[in-house]
Amino acid sequence: MEFKEVVGRRRSIRFFDPDRPVEREKIQKMLEAARLASCAVNAHWARAIVAFRKDLTDDQFNRLKTPVAALNVDLAPVHIHWFNDLSIVNKIKGSRLKELVDVGALAPTHGWSHKFVDEFVYPQILEPMTKNPGYPIPSTFDVGNAVAQALLTGVDEGLGVCLVTLNGEVLKEVFKVPDEWIPLSSILVGYPAESWDGGGQRPRPPFEELYYEGQFGTPFRRDPAVVEELKAAKMIQEPAKPNDPARIAEIRALAEKYGLPM
Amino acid sequence: MTRLASPRSERWPKNTGSRCSAVTQTEEEVPVELRPMLEYPSVQAWMHGLRQHWGGDPEHDDPERFVIFETFCRRVNRDPDQIVKETTMMKDGQHRIRIKGRNRYAALIQDFQDGVEGSRFAKAKWGNTVRSFLIHNGVLLQSGVQR
Repeated sequence: MEFKEVVGRRRSIRFFDPDRPVEREKIQKMLEAARLASCAVNAHWARAIVAFRKDLTDDQFNRLKTPVAALNVDLAPVHIHWFNDLSIVNKIKGSRLKELVDVGALAPTHGWSHKFVDEFVYPQILEPMTKNPGYPIPSTFDVGNAVAQALLTGVDEGLGVCLVTLNGEVLKEVFKVPDEWIPLSSILVGYPAESWDGGGQRPRPPFEELYYEGQFGTPFRRDPAVVEELKAAKMIQEPAKPNDPARIAEIRALAEKYGLPM
Repeated sequence: MTRLASPRSERWPKNTGSRCSAVTQTEEEVPVELRPMLEYPSVQAWMHGLRQHWGGDPEHDDPERFVIFETFCRRVNRDPDQIVKETTMMKDGQHRIRIKGRNRYAALIQDFQDGVEGSRFAKAKWGNTVRSFLIHNGVLLQSGVQR
């Protein structure tokens, strides 16, 4: 699938086929994509634990279910739980930055050297940064990059994906993760039981309310020709319509199939 | 139409001593007196939500809906508005969900559903009728797939 179409087809799928297993190799591809994501100082804070629902014990499964997320967790055959390993920077102490210097990604042309990393970047910037109460924010942003790439790769593999937030403390206990890992979001993965388009592309705020040019208050001009080009590339797709009879009928059928409340 | 099994409510002891005991009728409690369901604002809100989301005529399209719900109300010895009060609250001028109340009712509903004789779908219908009442009163409640 072309990249723009992958972006356009992604939906938060909430009706998975619970009885259709997901191929292990497709999960690996999602993780491979996450590993290749852009990441500040090449630190790689993102950690994931893959849980195949069929392998969870009853106790694990029941603990993950909450009144808010019980259905999603139940329907999705695979859950990928994401964490931020805050300890990584002080473990690698700039060594991955020096790898970037060695391969020419960070070059003397831009002021980079091993000595700069050893004597300045790690001791004067990175190590103090880890003591800053705000440290989890930018590092979590980078985990988000990795997660987004995993999501899109799942879509490219024909899977349904949905990013959800479960009970972080439960996740830490159930999966026995190190204390220094911060629990973040989970990707639920499975084949959609609903139509792949889920009734259409989800409503979004107007472009001009989100993006500016030069300064706040001056919307970035949206060129209609570009919009048309993206429609042709299937990145911008037919929007979901309120009270669409076809979508309501689909949800009703799914509710009856899986015994869900209406 | 699937014939629904009778709930075991009449045969249940008044207090099962299970996880639902917190709001299960006790020996000291006076049995709740229920008015016609549609007189309760929370039931009207339920009907409005069903009509708005699914269309149709929810007051009449499923004759078992009120029978099931009334059975649950008697089971927990609460009227519909009391159930909503026990699962929601006003805080700082905002409508909030009582987490403990919701968890308690989630367990009560599951208990209610488990006690119904019949197929899994018949059981699910009994539980989901009550869940639907709470959902359309703003209390998000998921049950999982009925297997």
